[in-house]
Amino acid sequence: MPTVLRELTGVEASSEKYMGLHVAAKIFVPFSLSLSILFTKDPYSAIILVLISLSICLVAGIPLSLLKRYLVVIGSMTSFIALSFVLFTHIPGKTIYEATILSFQAEKGVFEWKISVTDRGLLYIAIFTSRIFAMIFSALLLLGTVTDRDIIWGLRSIGLPFGVCVAVSLFFRGIQLFVSDFYTVREAMMARGVDFAKTSLAKKFLLYVNALIPILSLMITRSFEVSMALEARGIAPGTKTSTIYHTYKMGRRDYIVVAFSTLLVAIYAGWYLWPAW
Amino acid sequence: MASVVEIKDLWWRYEGSKQEVLRGVNLSIERGEFAAIMGPSGAGKTTLVLTLNGSIPQRIPGEFRGRVNVLGMDTLSHDVTEIARRVALVFEDPEIQFVMSTVEDEIILALEPLGLPRDEIRSRVEWSLELVGLDKSFLGRHPYQLSGGEKQRVAIATALARQPDILVLDEPTSDLDPIGKEEVISAIRSLRRELDITIVMVEHESEIVAEFADRIYILDRGRVVLDGESYNVFREIDKVKEHAVYPPEYIELASRIRLDGIPRTLEELIDRLRGYSLEVKPFRHVAGGGGGEAILKCRDIYFTYPDGVEALKGVSLDIRRGELIALTGPNGSGKTTLAKIFAGLLKPTRGVVEVLGKPLDTYDRQALSSIVGYVYQNPEHQIFNQSVWDEVAFGLRIRSRSVEDVSGRVEEALKMFNLYGLRREHPFFLSKGEKRRLALASIYVLNPKVLIVDEPTTGQDKRFSEALIKLFREMVSSGKTVIVITHTIPLAARYSDRMIVLKDGRVLAEGSPHEILSKVEVVREGRLITPQTARIYSSLDLPPPPPLSVEEFLERVTVKIR
Repeated sequence: MPTVLRELTGVEASSEKYMGLHVAAKIFVPFSLSLSILFTKDPYSAIILVLISLSICLVAGIPLSLLKRYLVVIGSMTSFIALSFVLFTHIPGKTIYEATILSFQAEKGVFEWKISVTDRGLLYIAIFTSRIFAMIFSALLLLGTVTDRDIIWGLRSIGLPFGVCVAVSLFFRGIQLFVSDFYTVREAMMARGVDFAKTSLAKKFLLYVNALIPILSLMITRSFEVSMALEARGIAPGTKTSTIYHTYKMGRRDYIVVAFSTLLVAIYAGWYLWPAW
Repeated sequence: MASVVEIKDLWWRYEGSKQEVLRGVNLSIERGEFAAIMGPSGAGKTTLVLTLNGSIPQRIPGEFRGRVNVLGMDTLSHDVTEIARRVALVFEDPEIQFVMSTVEDEIILALEPLGLPRDEIRSRVEWSLELVGLDKSFLGRHPYQLSGGEKQRVAIATALARQPDILVLDEPTSDLDPIGKEEVISAIRSLRRELDITIVMVEHESEIVAEFADRIYILDRGRVVLDGESYNVFREIDKVKEHAVYPPEYIELASRIRLDGIPRTLEELIDRLRGYSLEVKPFRHVAGGGGGEAILKCRDIYFTYPDGVEALKGVSLDIRRGELIALTGPNGSGKTTLAKIFAGLLKPTRGVVEVLGKPLDTYDRQALSSIVGYVYQNPEHQIFNQSVWDEVAFGLRIRSRSVEDVSGRVEEALKMFNLYGLRREHPFFLSKGEKRRLALASIYVLNPKVLIVDEPTTGQDKRFSEALIKLFREMVSSGKTVIVITHTIPLAARYSDRMIVLKDGRVLAEGSPHEILSKVEVVREGRLITPQTARIYSSLDLPPPPPLSVEEFLERVTVKIR
């Protein structure tokens, strides 16, 4: 069964042991990592969290080579954070470097725009960058180990209404269709002579806006057809079921994983609330 | 026998539409009957099908008049979900019916709302799969991993698992390759044998209808124009052809030979012909196009997709000027991949492709698309402008052609594809056939030397398909090369100069249609469905090659009826 990551990028986790965990455990691990990110407030806790999430990804067998494709995006996000701390925010602390870019006499005094690099500023940059990496790893873990089937039956097993679960399933199908339609329409433009490599950014933007026309048209037609097909099978938004075919049971390994994840969140929450710990 | 479907004076107009799609339909289907609905594209067949479970008028806005009674339920007063418990509908496109990510979940999805116990669900899942010829190994498979025929069989299994009283199949084979068609047909055969179920099937292919249907309703412009026992309806050859329904070739052949009484089956015709004296003229090969220089050449090309699927494994071909080529073979044989390589949309993993004597990669996108045009199977993927005129002009505008040039060429293309009257329309509002013509015009306007068209006749009636292929022939006469990717073998056999059969990423055979279709092993390996006329001729042990159309049979064979 392909995971969400496989459907989007063609790769997925390779560890059979990890993939064999109960869906709740597989969802809970990245969820606990994401929750812990909120409690990081110093570079040590942030870097440790990055290492923990990276290790779990490795244990799960997520191919990290995938990140190469997104290095430009990750790099530009990190640079953007660094620049915003340096150019637009003055973080109090020991000044390492300072320069005035602009200075003029305004009505109420002198206006100055300074570049300011402080030791605390650098720490903040480190914390935020680490948080981004921890978020990327936990997202990879979720997408690379959870299939849409896991999510849907997981939701059903916790008692969510049948209609909601079908809607979630349709959402995943919608993503697949949208991605595949987008690439086909892009290719159809190329078949008419559009060379995306040589097209300016502005022109490219306009072409992608144009591409939305057939994609949206197809989405409308498809959603109509899918809803007709569902109703033809006796499934409507309010349909109720008295039977749940798939039932999931948690095992010892699942409980251990959930306990570890809970402990991780508890430690980070403690670190955040009681720094003297 | 009791009627399970009773339609009286049914009129239906979609909201926003000026004309009624159904205009006074009357029909009655009895319990256990197999009823076929035929007619040209746009006749209202799918609309009629949607009235059977109450989707029209309960879910689709529009104006409804008349009465539809299904299994004693008035579709106006019983909810769709209530009717759907007893009337199952299988749509043309199997993919659109899949919501879940395994075959098992797909079938279960329809069973859970019935409140059945788990064991009952399990046994129904297995029973329904077995009925359509699929085993338990399919349970855990993703619907997208299945072939076209398997997908449609899963859709039928999903419908059958609910054990409905009526099964409605809306063109279940139209999107499928010959193998897929055969799979679905054998599933339908199994249903006929095993279940006492009423089946209503919309279908273009008269051979399929003739095999299964007890009764045919021919719909045209929203009215039932002909109905009756299938044999009796098809015997009215000229009348049915007026409504874009072509009877099975054996019926037409028997009628043109002027046999005493039309045989009921193809086998009966063969038996009767065996009793007559047959004089066969020697076959004279009529040279078609294709004598020109090679425009496209590929040598030993391989292509592997990122997921590791090897789509092409050493293909070498020459495509010449002035040829109409039918590129055929089962789904997944590499036809579209090869076509996309010719159009420069995919880069071969290995091997050489030359366009007009130069390596393909020496051309930039615009130059290549001016030589090789590629038309997608689904025209909706190729339409992204705000008017029909702008759509056709798009390719010229990005080439910075002068306003006069654009205007002249767009006008010519629109007239050629009979779209000039619609030039100000938004492409959204065109019919399926018009969208397909628009997609063709938008490539034709670039004046490519080679036009590659991916499955242009899929889901279209024979009249439209023939008109389209004749248009391609005209283009070939003017010196262009047209490559048609198709599963419609009878049409390809009749109109193409050369057939190229791919199988498992390799060229299984290439040659004139007569050469290809007279090679038994190629027909078997390539799973090609030969025209009925050729099958009749071959069964009579007459000298090869077999004729590929009724006209050719009559030209070459004289039947002396004593």
